[in-house]
Amino acid sequence: MKPEVPATLQALAGVLLAEIAPRLVDDYTQKTSGVAAGLLLVAAEEWDRAAERRVQENRALRRLFAEAAPQVRSEGLRRRIELASRSRDPSLRLSSLDERNALLRGLLIELHAHVESLTGPAATRLEAQIWDELRAGVERRAIGFWPL
Amino acid sequence: MQALAERFARYAAHRMSGARDVRVDGLSRIHGGASRETYRLRLRWSEAGEPHERGLILRRDPPSSLIETDREHEFRAYRAFRGTDVPVPEPIWLEEDASWLERPFFVMERVDGCESSLRGLTEAPCVAHREKLGRTKWQVLAAIARADPSRLGLAKGRSELSPESCWEHELSHWEHVIDADELEPEPIARAAIRWLRRNPPPPAERISVVHGDYRSGNFLYDADGNLRAVLDWEMWHLGDPLEDLAWSLNPLWSWPEAKLAGRLLPREQAVAVWEQASGLHAPSEALHWWDVFTQVKSLAIWISSGREYADRRSQDPMLALVGWVVKGAQDRLALDALRSPS
Repeated sequence: MKPEVPATLQALAGVLLAEIAPRLVDDYTQKTSGVAAGLLLVAAEEWDRAAERRVQENRALRRLFAEAAPQVRSEGLRRRIELASRSRDPSLRLSSLDERNALLRGLLIELHAHVESLTGPAATRLEAQIWDELRAGVERRAIGFWPL
Repeated sequence: MQALAERFARYAAHRMSGARDVRVDGLSRIHGGASRETYRLRLRWSEAGEPHERGLILRRDPPSSLIETDREHEFRAYRAFRGTDVPVPEPIWLEEDASWLERPFFVMERVDGCESSLRGLTEAPCVAHREKLGRTKWQVLAAIARADPSRLGLAKGRSELSPESCWEHELSHWEHVIDADELEPEPIARAAIRWLRRNPPPPAERISVVHGDYRSGNFLYDADGNLRAVLDWEMWHLGDPLEDLAWSLNPLWSWPEAKLAGRLLPREQAVAVWEQASGLHAPSEALHWWDVFTQVKSLAIWISSGREYADRRSQDPMLALVGWVVKGAQDRLALDALRSPS
């Protein structure tokens, strides 16, 4: 069998909801099964895009760092921003992409805090770019199945 | 479940000296309430030859919790507000000895004929009474804000808080929660925290009891739109009453009816009801600060739940759901709050 993971997870969620939950006698386990089924559907949605959204975000952060570096006044931070802007994802494994993403997002926090201390139109533009990236990060992670 | 029922019956018999033939019927766990395991049950016994029964709620400490508080703290709030303008279930027993039910717990009255669900607010029969229930909801919150902590016996720690700095106490608390529990860097939460520190709110108009989780879903209502009991006091503390007001207005509790705070009233109307009933003021600048704070506190709670699940301290899928899906939604709301004018 060629493992179609999203379809498998969706089918499992369907079994939980339609076959198992109705046979459970108490309200607590029935609702817990419903939540578990919902999580399977969320995982199914995440599966297909998981690598792409991480790669996209890491690239977007590096682009942002490349544009931001000349405006960073702190030498140490600027050096790390420049280094990060030239870094690459060593592998497409999710764990590896996540590790890089955590480094880049940690640096984004430092950059944002630094930019907030600057004045002038360039700093204002850079801060707006950071807010745009934060918004883009939220949208990349949004779950269409559960549109809260 | 049968073993728990038998153990609880033994405990109840121990607490009720004149009771005979004590037994438990209909013990079942209630979904939600991730901070404590919550069970409903009916206790039956005979006394002086007469049969008796009573509906009870058992709140037992979980092996792992979304919010780490001690049960005595929560029990004290129920005891303090019992018989006041703030309806609460009668607190009955507080038991710190874990040998009875494996973990400490407390017991309170079960308020029958009610529900607490968010969905029920948008369906018959309650949907017809939403305005009435909404007005009561924010009037009761005003009653909490008006209550004198000293008279209630809830003033411990009052001297350490000032109207000028109570915000800092709360913000630091939740910042530390994020520091301890984040699974990855949280740039939105961190941006919000920095904004809150750069733009402190005006001094609190008074130091009040703050429920800490006052929202649709945490009170019982009946089919006629009466608010019968305020629940889930585990996060109560002293502070600025605007904290509770902002929390009650968190857009997360409105979804999918964005224009109705807590699915009940338009935000402006809710604030007006609260101001009139409390005699306090909610200036937009101050309320905006607490709106942003609400986002940080919410994020901290969802981040913690994700940590609980990731560390396998709990297998409850609800913790994974809120740590993943709800946390993502809250990030968006935090951005909205940060970018909206006060």
